[in-house]
Amino acid sequence: MLAVIAGYLFRLDPNLIDLNLVLQGPSVQHWFGADDLGRDILARVLSGVKMSLLVALTVTVITMLVGVLIGILAGFYGGKVDSVLMQVTDVFLAFPGILLAIAFAAVLGPGLGNLILALCLTGWVSYARLTRGQTMSLRNRQHVQAAESLGAGVPRLLFRHILPLMTSVLVVEAAYSLASVMIAEASLSFLGLGIQAPNASWGAMLRDAVRFMLVAPHYVLIVGLCLMSLILAINLGGDYLRDSLDVRRDIP
Amino acid sequence: MFLVHRLIRFFTVIFGVLLLTFLLIHLVPGDPVEVMLGESASSADRDALRAELGLNQPLLQQFGTYLNKLAHGDFGYSIHTKASIAELIKTRYPATLKLALLALMIGLLVGIPLGIYSALKAGRWQDILVTVVSVRLSAMPAFWLGPVLMLIFAVWLGWLPVSGMESGASIILPAATLGFGLSAILTRMTRTSLLEVLNDDYIRTARAKGLSERVVILRHALRAALLPIITIVGLQMGSLLAGAVITETIFSWDGIGRLLVESIEKRDYPVTQACVLIVALSYVVVNLLTDLLYKLADPRVRAA
Repeated sequence: MLAVIAGYLFRLDPNLIDLNLVLQGPSVQHWFGADDLGRDILARVLSGVKMSLLVALTVTVITMLVGVLIGILAGFYGGKVDSVLMQVTDVFLAFPGILLAIAFAAVLGPGLGNLILALCLTGWVSYARLTRGQTMSLRNRQHVQAAESLGAGVPRLLFRHILPLMTSVLVVEAAYSLASVMIAEASLSFLGLGIQAPNASWGAMLRDAVRFMLVAPHYVLIVGLCLMSLILAINLGGDYLRDSLDVRRDIP
Repeated sequence: MFLVHRLIRFFTVIFGVLLLTFLLIHLVPGDPVEVMLGESASSADRDALRAELGLNQPLLQQFGTYLNKLAHGDFGYSIHTKASIAELIKTRYPATLKLALLALMIGLLVGIPLGIYSALKAGRWQDILVTVVSVRLSAMPAFWLGPVLMLIFAVWLGWLPVSGMESGASIILPAATLGFGLSAILTRMTRTSLLEVLNDDYIRTARAKGLSERVVILRHALRAALLPIITIVGLQMGSLLAGAVITETIFSWDGIGRLLVESIEKRDYPVTQACVLIVALSYVVVNLLTDLLYKLADPRVRAA
């Protein structure tokens, strides 16, 4: 939010090229200095965070919807559907960290849409596992069975009696996954698989910054510090949510 | 029983991993052969590559051929250099393994003692300092921690080589980049785990027996506290392997991760496929080993 407001406040053009400023250190006019094409780093950091948040929010919303739907159905019906789902998620989890996202992004090709698709293809798994577990334990609660014996249909059971009870768990999970999606996005952009030039993205900026590290160390330090602060802030927000909603987060 | 179930799961997961990596190339939008060779390639070249990769066969038959070749250690050939992928992997894999193992050692040797120290000083300033530093460190992805370490130790202080693999000291910075991230997580886990155990009855008994604090901590508390650490280390090996992709790229370390990134840049999909497969299989094996190790270490699981 702050970043968006600040962007309008400063009225800086993140893509304005001023070759006189190439790789200049921080100054009064350009607080964070300039990058390899003489663009203002502060302006690019601010427009980069908008892009990152956009990607992270889109991915979080899509993966949550898909994952919750799959998980709740598997947890509710159990049996064959459930065991197939568990095997599929096992396979997805067999790929460490962002490797699968890298693989998907590699074959899909670079670009914003493909980046989001690659992150979604890998992100739904944790929600599906979490929702499945929660549904299985809530399924046998008395209020669910009472509603069932009173003739409530399956959709009503799922969305009125089971889903509301796990919202706090899901909210906390979403907060943490927001941070991990941002790291994943930055990693992919760092590898050149994500957001493309001239659009600003922190991962791509770090990629450029590392190349010019010897001449302009301020570039890599500033962008990295911003990234670290943001991740830290989101994680602390997640901790706060977890404590205030009283959710015990089990490590998967 | 546990072993049988675990092995069945191990093999179904491996089959799934094979299937998914096989399908990767079919996810390429449009014609994968055209994407790989570029638009300037002649139609004869394209047909030749299509036949070589077996892309004109029915899907099921392709998968069969793929499995059969892999079983014989045949990963196919790089499209650009025509080099045997099995050879490429054989030369690159040990470098990644070396890096990952050294990083693991750094992670364990820094993380666990710091975690114990932090737990023993719980609530005091030493504990707060360790916690603050490790929380900061765990929010630093490899592509930011790496350049910072490089800047400080290689560029400013000039103690270590910037990148490459020429001298023996070259491994220190990439391994530290991976290891510090791991140690931050291990510190926090060890601290939590040890504090939980220290409230248990048997620790009170041990203290009441008049055992020295040293014996109580090292013999009694630590043994129980380290159990969950085994699982965490196993899971973290995954981020270590994935982190190696970025760390190797930053430090020009010629391992499997860098091979993967290079193959993506050149759109050499058979190489990409093989790298993804090898890294995923390593992780599956590590996870199997941690599960077995955990079972050996924990008498409660052994009895169950």
